[in-house]
Amino acid sequence: MAANGTSVSIQDLSLNFGAVSVLQTLNLDVAEGEFIVLLGPSGCGKSTLLNCIAGLLDISEGRIFIKGKNVTWEEPKDRGIGMVFQSYALYPQMTVEKNLSFGLRVAGVPKDEITKRIARAAEILQIEPLLQRKPAALSGGQRQRVAIGRALVRDVDVFLFDEPLSNLDAKLRSELRVEIKLLHRKLQNTMIYVTHDQIEAMTLADRIAVMKGGVIQQLDAPQTIYNRPVNRFVAGFLGSPAMNFVEGQLEAGAPALFKSGSVSIPLDRYAFDGAGSKSGACVFGIRPEHIAFGEAANSMPFATDAAVEIVEPMGSDTLVWTKLGAHNFSFRVEAEKTLRNGDPVRIGFDPARASLFDSQSGNRM
Amino acid sequence: MADHAVPAATPSGVARADASGPSGPKPRHVFSRRNIFLYGTLIVVAVYYLLPLYVMVVTSLKGMPEIRLGNIFSPPLEITFEPWVKAWSQACTGLNCDGLSRGFWNSVRITVPSVILSIAIASVNGYALANWRFKGADTFFVILIVGAFIPYQVMIYPIVIILREIGLYGSLSGLVIVHSIFGMPILTLLFRNYFTSMPEELFRAARVDGAGFWGIYLRIMLPMSLPIFVVAVILQVTGIWNDFLFGVVYTRPDTYPMTVQLNNIVNSVQGVKEYNVNMAATILTGLVPLVVYFISGKLFVRGIAAGAVKG
Repeated sequence: MAANGTSVSIQDLSLNFGAVSVLQTLNLDVAEGEFIVLLGPSGCGKSTLLNCIAGLLDISEGRIFIKGKNVTWEEPKDRGIGMVFQSYALYPQMTVEKNLSFGLRVAGVPKDEITKRIARAAEILQIEPLLQRKPAALSGGQRQRVAIGRALVRDVDVFLFDEPLSNLDAKLRSELRVEIKLLHRKLQNTMIYVTHDQIEAMTLADRIAVMKGGVIQQLDAPQTIYNRPVNRFVAGFLGSPAMNFVEGQLEAGAPALFKSGSVSIPLDRYAFDGAGSKSGACVFGIRPEHIAFGEAANSMPFATDAAVEIVEPMGSDTLVWTKLGAHNFSFRVEAEKTLRNGDPVRIGFDPARASLFDSQSGNRM
Repeated sequence: MADHAVPAATPSGVARADASGPSGPKPRHVFSRRNIFLYGTLIVVAVYYLLPLYVMVVTSLKGMPEIRLGNIFSPPLEITFEPWVKAWSQACTGLNCDGLSRGFWNSVRITVPSVILSIAIASVNGYALANWRFKGADTFFVILIVGAFIPYQVMIYPIVIILREIGLYGSLSGLVIVHSIFGMPILTLLFRNYFTSMPEELFRAARVDGAGFWGIYLRIMLPMSLPIFVVAVILQVTGIWNDFLFGVVYTRPDTYPMTVQLNNIVNSVQGVKEYNVNMAATILTGLVPLVVYFISGKLFVRGIAAGAVKG
């Protein structure tokens, strides 16, 4: 996709509110037609970054380019962006049709052109029967469709979504998620999408930017972020149920060993980043779904005995809590397995699928 | 799970029993203790506040001989509208004898432009303060609000000088300007709080759609703020119509507003005190704010609440 050229480019962007630094020398290049998701917990600056791109917030330092044009100090309307808001932000006194056409009327687009574009957007989003209604007479999902339509009719280069599905119930959310993905495939526009929902991020994104404290922690394809998180924060933020973390010591050597209490895990299959293994305090992380139990555990490079502490049935599968050394440790089993508290189990995993983090810096080793 | 099945069945059984039970609207106790206290208090308070009005209306419909009998609460034996006519068009104030009518039209000519001007400016002020956080907006707002706490009397003389210097002293337009300025702090506060309570994303969406300062104000904000405009109109009409101080200070006798005219009629000391005429004149003067309030009362309450919930 990078071959298509850069659509949005953010260079050394900083934003301060008084003494508070919200975004710190942030760099981000979005390729033409790419779907980027800004993911992070509340207050990480993801919506702020989106508002900066939209031109709704004046930045303190840095530059923003859209389609190669420096738009750092341009008005929102001149940036070639369309934006969809969490609260839909439909004008309550206007009908759906007037809502859709508002931006075009402000820009002085000829009437027949407006009609044409509205017809196209309404067809794509299937809101034709709603055009003469007021927003108050629409359901949440319909309102969000209209909000998307408002960005659609403006024929923009870049779509900005600010947590568009957060106000919808779970069922509608998954429906609209698919629709947004289809829309992206159909339009091939660049889309920047802010959310705190990791499922939305994983399912929609070409690349995810995980943010924390105004800094992009990791920017990569969803699978890479999921399997090779760059630090402990990213590892813990993505994945539900969350990754298991076991604190202990790394002993360099051949093979390197991870030790936590009586547990000793050989790391000969683990791919260390660049610098290689180095002795010291570290955190061993492995996802619950990468753990085998029972017979299957014995064929794993590492296996140990444990006792079931708590069983959490989740419908599709069951989460079982046990202890590895002194640390809580969970793994997933099929829902049909019947395990009871106190049952002895054999668990095992392949250290190649694990992630090791430096205890001090939290960075991947 | 099996042993839970039996107790789980019970709630549905209870629900069925309910459905076959008593139906129809919930019985009400009209003479409950709560109702007696509630309505009793309301009636007493209502009578207390309405009694003076009653006396005024009754007195204004009596002739002078009947008033001299001294039964102020008794209804008129012979209803006469003579005092009303006299109050409107014949009562004397010093030199001229054309009653309240002159003051009425002066008041209209003062109130209408003042209300329009002050609300137009204050609503734009409030909108700018709420949505366009320009540099120094907070300081500006604080200064404006401090203005609301300074007693009017302090500023009377400086304003006399200012009006004299710009040549508007004694004219209606001078008084209109004074009223507009003095309405500014409270109206701006009112509008600012109302616009602040509107979802900010709406404003952002309009900006992305390309609307500018005036475009957003006129096409997005104005249509959504009818209630607060009604509140502002009521506040201003009542305040300006009832104003006496500015009216008497900044106008000349031929441009006196109705309230000043009323004062001159009631306080004229020649001959007998015509209580019936005075009462009629007072009711006439109070009629305008009363009518405005009755027409828009419903919207008034809604607007106050809308501004109050998210202040």
